[in-house]
Formats: sequence, C-alpha cells, structure tokens
Amino acid sequence: MKATLEIINQMQTDGIIGKYAIGGAVGATFYLEPAATLDVDIFVMLPQTLQSKLLSLAPIYEYLKARGFKVEKEHIVIGDWPVQFLPPSNDLEREALAGAVETEVEGVKTWVMTAEHLVAIALNTARPKDHARILQFLEQKVVNADKLNHILIGHGLVLKWNRFQDRYLDKDTNG
Amino acid sequence: MGNGSGSSKQDRRKRLASLSFSEKVKILEKLRDRSKKIAASRSKPARALDKPQ
Repeated sequence: MKATLEIINQMQTDGIIGKYAIGGAVGATFYLEPAATLDVDIFVMLPQTLQSKLLSLAPIYEYLKARGFKVEKEHIVIGDWPVQFLPPSNDLEREALAGAVETEVEGVKTWVMTAEHLVAIALNTARPKDHARILQFLEQKVVNADKLNHILIGHGLVLKWNRFQDRYLDKDTNG
Repeated sequence: MGNGSGSSKQDRRKRLASLSFSEKVKILEKLRDRSKKIAASRSKPARALDKPQ
C-alpha cells in the first residue's frame, strides 16, 4: 500500500488529480477491524482545468499507463493493489472528500473519509455488504451520532436511515 | 467449532480495530493475497486423478 499511495501522491503533486480520499472497505478499515477486500476505492477530485472540460478519468489512465501500470477492467494496478478512481457522483461524496481526515500508512501521508461519511455513503449505496459495514461501524461505536444525523439530514437520507433501523436495529439501541 | 466465546470474539475485533492503520493495512494485504490464492486454486482444472471414474 505504501508504494500505491506514493504514486497517488505523486499524481497529486503533478496536477493529475486534486484532493483524494480512501473510501470503501479500505477506508472503513481505518476505523474497524480489517475485512478482506481485493481493491482500493480512491475518491478523487479532478483538477479545475480538467473539470472544465468533459469529466473524464482519461488523464489519470494516460498518466499511469505511460508509467507502465496496467489496467484491469475498471482498476489500475498500482504497486500490488488494484485501484479504482472514483470522481464524486453526488454532493454527499463531494462533502466526504472535502472532509476527509489526514493520516499515514508506513510514513506516507494520505486521507480517509470520516466514519460518518463512510456510513452515509454505505447507506446510500445500500448493497448487502454496505449494510453489513454500517452494522460494524455501529457495533464498534466509532460513529458520532450528531455528526451522522447532520449528514443524513443534509443529504436527504433520513428516510433510508429509518428503514435501515427498522430492518436491522433494536429500537432501544439505535439512539 | 469456535474456540472462544462471543465476548472473546468481540475483544479480538476491538483489539484489531485498535491497531494502527499501517498495521491494519498489512493485515488487509495478507487477507487479499489469501483470497487471491483461494480464487486461483478454484479456477485450476481438475487433475486426472481427481476426476470421477
């Protein structure tokens, strides 16, 4: 992962990407016990000059392919991790990217989405594995309820959250 | 089959969650490599001796 993040940071220095943050299962691992995953989700802002044209990941692919990195379906293998670059697809993901927390992996600086944003994105995505991950966050008590409520209200997710609670949580344990 | 109670599993999960991100990423890499090996072994064709008569 160290080599992977070094390359991604270099892409940022070279202006190929703007701010980025680790999301998905690897992002969740910042807060939870590690759970098997085969790839890394990197949410990424494209620089303004690139965004003014059609939103495209082509510059990222061109940059990496020119340096010998291989494309495997929707991933690019950097170091020994398949990486999926994901421009934010809605305001929730944009906010999550902007609010990501700085950390490091083996001395390499990086950013991870907050626990509350990871939960909100998982709720919005709503696959079975996303629901399982939300339950892990709640069981480990790493979510600030006030912050999560603020995000849920701000992004119209309260109804989804209520349905999630009805389905998976005891009424007296969900705050 | 389990070798511990529910509370010891919970303790183990808490202990793993409290590791540094670097340590957890190393575990993720081991889990990923194990998953890839399992997937590769499943995709190998059966050897002649393994085939049903």
